[in-house]
Amino acid sequence: MTASFTDPNAALSPELAARDDMINCRGVKKWFGDFQALKGVDLTVKEKEVMVVLGPSGSGKSTLIRCINRLEVHQEGNIIVDGIELTNDLRNIDKIRSEVGMVFQQFNLFPHLTVLDNITLAPIWVRKKPKAEAEATALELLTRVGIPEQANKFPGQLSGGQQQRVAIARSLAMEPKIMLFDEPTSALDPEMISEVLDVMKTLAESGMTMVVVTHEMGFAREVADRLVFMEEGNVVEINEPEGFFTNPKSDRTKLFLSQIL
Amino acid sequence: MATAQVPQSSSAHAAQQRPPLWRDAGVLKWFAQIVALVLVVGTLWFLSTEAVDNLEAGGISPGTEWLNGPANIQLSEGIDTVPNSAGRALWSGMVTNLRLAVIGIILSTILGLAVGLARLSNNWLANKAASIFIETLRNIPVLVQILLWLTILTSIGALTPDRGPISGWLIISQKGVSGPRIFLADGFYQWAVLMGLAGVVTYFVRKSLNAKRDREGGTSQAGKATVAIMGVSAVVFWFINPIVGFLGTPLQAISDGWGGIPQPVMQAILSALAAGAAVNWIRRFLNSRRTPAGLAKLTDDDYFRMIFAGIAALLAVIVLWRWWPGLSSWIINSGSDFWQVAADKFGDGRGARPLDGMKPTVSEGRFANYGPTGWTLTVFAAALLFGLVFYTASFIAEIIRGGILAVAKGQTEAAAALGLSRSQALRKVILPQAFRIVMPPLGNQYLNITKNTSLAIAVGLSDVVQVGQSLANKNNQFLTVFAIWMLFYLACSLTISLIVNTINARLAIVER
Amino acid sequence: MAAIQDDLSMNLEAGGVAPDVRPDTPVKDPVQWMKENLFSSVGNALLTGVFVAVLGGLLWWFVGLVFKDSNDWDAVATNIRLLFSFNYPAEQYIRVWFSLGMLLGAVSLTAAFFDINPSMSVRKLGINASGLGATSLIVGVLPATPSGARIVFLIIGALFLAAGVGTLQAVDEPHKKFVSFPTMLLTFGLSVVAFAWLVPIGRNEFANGAVIDEGGFANPSTKIPWTIMMAILVGVYFLARAVKPMLPVKPVQTFLITFWVAGPAFLIFLVLRDPTFDYDRVLKVDIPWAIGFAVVGGAILYWLTKPMLGEIGRLVAVALLGVAVLNWVAAFFGWWSMLQKTRVSFLVLALFALAAPTFAGEKSARVRYVGAWVAVVALGHWLITGINTTSTLDIAAPPFLGGFTISLVIFYYVMLVSFPLGAIMALARTSTLPIFRVMATVYIEFIRGIPLITVLFFFSSMVSLFLPNGMDLSELAAIFIGYTLFSAAYVAENIRGGLQSVRRGQFEASDALGLTTSQRTIFVVLPQALRVSIPNLVGQAIATFKETSLIFIVGAFDFLRVANVSIASQPDYLGQNLVGLLFVSAVYWVFAYSMSRASRSLETKLGVGSR
Repeated sequence: MTASFTDPNAALSPELAARDDMINCRGVKKWFGDFQALKGVDLTVKEKEVMVVLGPSGSGKSTLIRCINRLEVHQEGNIIVDGIELTNDLRNIDKIRSEVGMVFQQFNLFPHLTVLDNITLAPIWVRKKPKAEAEATALELLTRVGIPEQANKFPGQLSGGQQQRVAIARSLAMEPKIMLFDEPTSALDPEMISEVLDVMKTLAESGMTMVVVTHEMGFAREVADRLVFMEEGNVVEINEPEGFFTNPKSDRTKLFLSQIL
Repeated sequence: MATAQVPQSSSAHAAQQRPPLWRDAGVLKWFAQIVALVLVVGTLWFLSTEAVDNLEAGGISPGTEWLNGPANIQLSEGIDTVPNSAGRALWSGMVTNLRLAVIGIILSTILGLAVGLARLSNNWLANKAASIFIETLRNIPVLVQILLWLTILTSIGALTPDRGPISGWLIISQKGVSGPRIFLADGFYQWAVLMGLAGVVTYFVRKSLNAKRDREGGTSQAGKATVAIMGVSAVVFWFINPIVGFLGTPLQAISDGWGGIPQPVMQAILSALAAGAAVNWIRRFLNSRRTPAGLAKLTDDDYFRMIFAGIAALLAVIVLWRWWPGLSSWIINSGSDFWQVAADKFGDGRGARPLDGMKPTVSEGRFANYGPTGWTLTVFAAALLFGLVFYTASFIAEIIRGGILAVAKGQTEAAAALGLSRSQALRKVILPQAFRIVMPPLGNQYLNITKNTSLAIAVGLSDVVQVGQSLANKNNQFLTVFAIWMLFYLACSLTISLIVNTINARLAIVER
Repeated sequence: MAAIQDDLSMNLEAGGVAPDVRPDTPVKDPVQWMKENLFSSVGNALLTGVFVAVLGGLLWWFVGLVFKDSNDWDAVATNIRLLFSFNYPAEQYIRVWFSLGMLLGAVSLTAAFFDINPSMSVRKLGINASGLGATSLIVGVLPATPSGARIVFLIIGALFLAAGVGTLQAVDEPHKKFVSFPTMLLTFGLSVVAFAWLVPIGRNEFANGAVIDEGGFANPSTKIPWTIMMAILVGVYFLARAVKPMLPVKPVQTFLITFWVAGPAFLIFLVLRDPTFDYDRVLKVDIPWAIGFAVVGGAILYWLTKPMLGEIGRLVAVALLGVAVLNWVAAFFGWWSMLQKTRVSFLVLALFALAAPTFAGEKSARVRYVGAWVAVVALGHWLITGINTTSTLDIAAPPFLGGFTISLVIFYYVMLVSFPLGAIMALARTSTLPIFRVMATVYIEFIRGIPLITVLFFFSSMVSLFLPNGMDLSELAAIFIGYTLFSAAYVAENIRGGLQSVRRGQFEASDALGLTTSQRTIFVVLPQALRVSIPNLVGQAIATFKETSLIFIVGAFDFLRVANVSIASQPDYLGQNLVGLLFVSAVYWVFAYSMSRASRSLETKLGVGSR
């Protein structure tokens, strides 16, 4: 019974099941010194799927998505992103990093560059785009996230919500196939959370493959195709949203939901 | 089911494929580092063989034997102005450096503290004067200041036999300052041993007195007892210190025993120590990586560290047996010498007086000079000290001001609210806290003053750099001289940072 | 010109309130002020008494020192050129003026195009003037002052005191009004010119005793160039401000930075040293080589900057580096000979090739990169050819630079070269790669543990030992290398402080965006780290500037040696070290103090200190 709801392909709708795999994690293990953060994670993310990862703090959710774009190096198991396996191969690392966008809890905008330069830096130097083209794209993206007027300001002059939207635009400027969100709203004041979530919803609707670590249950329920619940470095349950919230299969999930809802 | 396409359980996953070597980030990382290491070591090796070849082509073989040969130079001042060997000359220079550094550190701290406090004063004039002191002195190169002092001090008047200010006691002239000298006499070490014993007795008496006070209340007599015991002992032992003269015999025995160790034994002991240290380090490292579930996954870096510890131990062993076997015999000889020196401090027939004093004298003749009896600060040393102390004090003053200002304003206010006066607040609340902030940069200044004693060469004072320079000019043994300079200054730097770090650690504990 | 008119009139008449400048504290009633600050309590009054005595005594002693009977200030006055430019021939002196003019012009342009305009509140100005006046008056009445100078001190004191107090009285709310930079610059220029033309400074003669001008004003060979210098300083500034709106600012700023990096080398080796180019050889050998490198190297670099070139590019770059290193090894072992500049060019080309993937991009980026290479080749070859050509200067002793100039030049180049070296070492020390970290740490801690003078001795006396037969290095170059390697360790420590302040998230965000390690370092990490380390780096620069005096000990003819030895051994001025040393102290002080003031205002501007 246990195997069925941690099966990486569990709870896939027929439509999603027919699609290609975008991310494939098999038996991923990761140690920090003597602490094992991931204890053999199996996970599949389909193309254009929105997957939300839930779990108590310290459960390894952030470590997992940081392994997916190799900010952390996993020590055992395989991670295959868009058909490329993550190994020590320099070519693969470069390729995957420019195909996987990431948004951080602390925004991590470059404080010494203007908003526009923040967004165009990677397209110009990594994608090797002409400057004018990169700037045009940047302005378009800023319009999409709703702050075209802030282009020439420095990050320090923006509110938290605006900074996070710039960070999203910065990632999108690389035209990624996958977007990873690492608790994008945790560092925001309550009144700014919705503006960031709205941008993420639009992004999900536009068909972006997304893996989102968050504590926003409303967002998870509304936008996610599937939910993953992790605890102590293990995947405990993979389920579609309705089932997850109304009829969780694992006792641990039930306990977690009872604490948080 | 779609599960058929990919391996599912974590035990069945495929092994990671290895990328080709030239694209493997892990391999490239180590390759680049090892290439850099080989390049650096290779360049250094090439340059040093080149230097040795060039020297030998010029008839000079670099080494350390000449240190035991005659010095053929005279030192301007120091513990031994006519040294009988080159090594002794360098040693005398080092002592001069150390003396200057210690005196300089003490004086510049006192001056810096005074100026720093004046800089914080409410009094406008004191504040301004301190600020002028700081801004003037720290913006003029210390070498220029030293030369200025030398020029000024050498023009204050010629030395004559009856020169004052207090003729026969304190003499100031263009040759420097001379005053009465107090020095350690024959009985000092015997006396010091006895005073140490008295100290131990005092410690136990204090402990029992304090315990009694805790039991019965009232005021402790510990302070009075300390003064009484130590005072009486100091006076009594002043006269009867030869009673411990017998200590010379056991010390002599230790010296003989140490000197009798065969060289291979010493080499074996040292090798065992090196190997033991490496094994111990690796074991502790592995233990720190051990978890209840077994040994954690070791990263490349972890392996590298362990290999490096092993290589370091191996190198140490090679150095001990192959490259520098003399090190072991040096340790044997100098250890034996050390105990011999200690043994010589004790013995029968020594004068009882621990300390002695002499008045300054002025030698007669056409060129009057200070005699050896008094304590003399030559004009060269004075110029160097003035320059170093004023320059360094201006930095220390700023450090102290910064430290005091950095102590939160709330602390000052809290102290005032408790009814402490300004000076009480300064002494009891602010300074102890400021001390912690001030210690690291202060240590840096102490290091600077120690390194700057090397400017002695500019005033012709015989410090280790000046002595080394004049020796090397004669025999072209620059390589050895440079190595000695490096070792000396690195030892000084290390000692100072050790002391500063220890004090820092202590302060951190006190705070908790 | 209208803009300038506005500028000046506004500042002089209305006192110009700069909107973003914090007002100074208001002026207090003197009696009230004294009560508060000098006599607030008995202890305070006592302290005031003590410090009046101490300060008075010190001033008395110092004035006595300066005006001692045995002092001959003519020793400084007649040797002023020796002090500043050492043996530079008088008939070629126009080259010195040209170089100085270029530098002053560049200072003005930099101030105008980088918007550097420090201002001072009228209150501060008034108080400084009054303070200067009062000090001057006190010096005037001290018995130590010689009667000839007494009257000058009294007059100057009275003038300044009157001007200072007058300003404070006449201007309403002087703490809220500011004297702008253009006004200060203009005043400075006019004062220097007025001083040169109107103040009788006495007898003028050359160092050899030939009298130029008996009793009176500065001689024309001094006052005319200085007038032109001031005209350049002030004129270029106002001109630059007038044309600034019409010019694109970015390219001018880039040009100015290039000038400050490369310009001094040209002034030193092409203007001051004046090489006698053999134009036949230049046409037949030098120019073809330069063109060859520019074209072939340019083509290679254009190819290497192609996006997504992959490992082939890296392999080619490494191969180029191998060839460049091999050339040097060959030089050491004498396998084959080659023009030194060819070796240098190969090395620079290899470095450009290694950096190519970092700066790869679309066409305009690639063209820009190749352009940078061509510029480096052109400038570098011109410079190296100039350095390797004999000089026309008629100088007896080999170093054509000496005195204060060599101190400044050594300082400038030590900072310039040790900066990138230090940055690399700081990066290595904070790197995650253990061998790099260990090597950098060992080097930095080793150097920081030993005094500069031992390093200088090592290099001045031993470098020739380390070179193979047939290779030689001038003593000054050896000193410079030693000083640079020494300074780099300290620079590295300062930059390391900045690097540690860059947050982890910045590294992660750069990695997540796909920047390479070198791109991450150049575009994200270093700019942030350097901003934090600027105050410490300026402090380091001041220390380096002061320690240039140590080259005196290893025998260089620097500022200090000229003052302390050269002048004091002239028959006319035997033993006159005191005046020379006082003068040297004053000059060092002015430079070091200005640098530290500038650094402090920069610190406030960057808001580093307040964090």
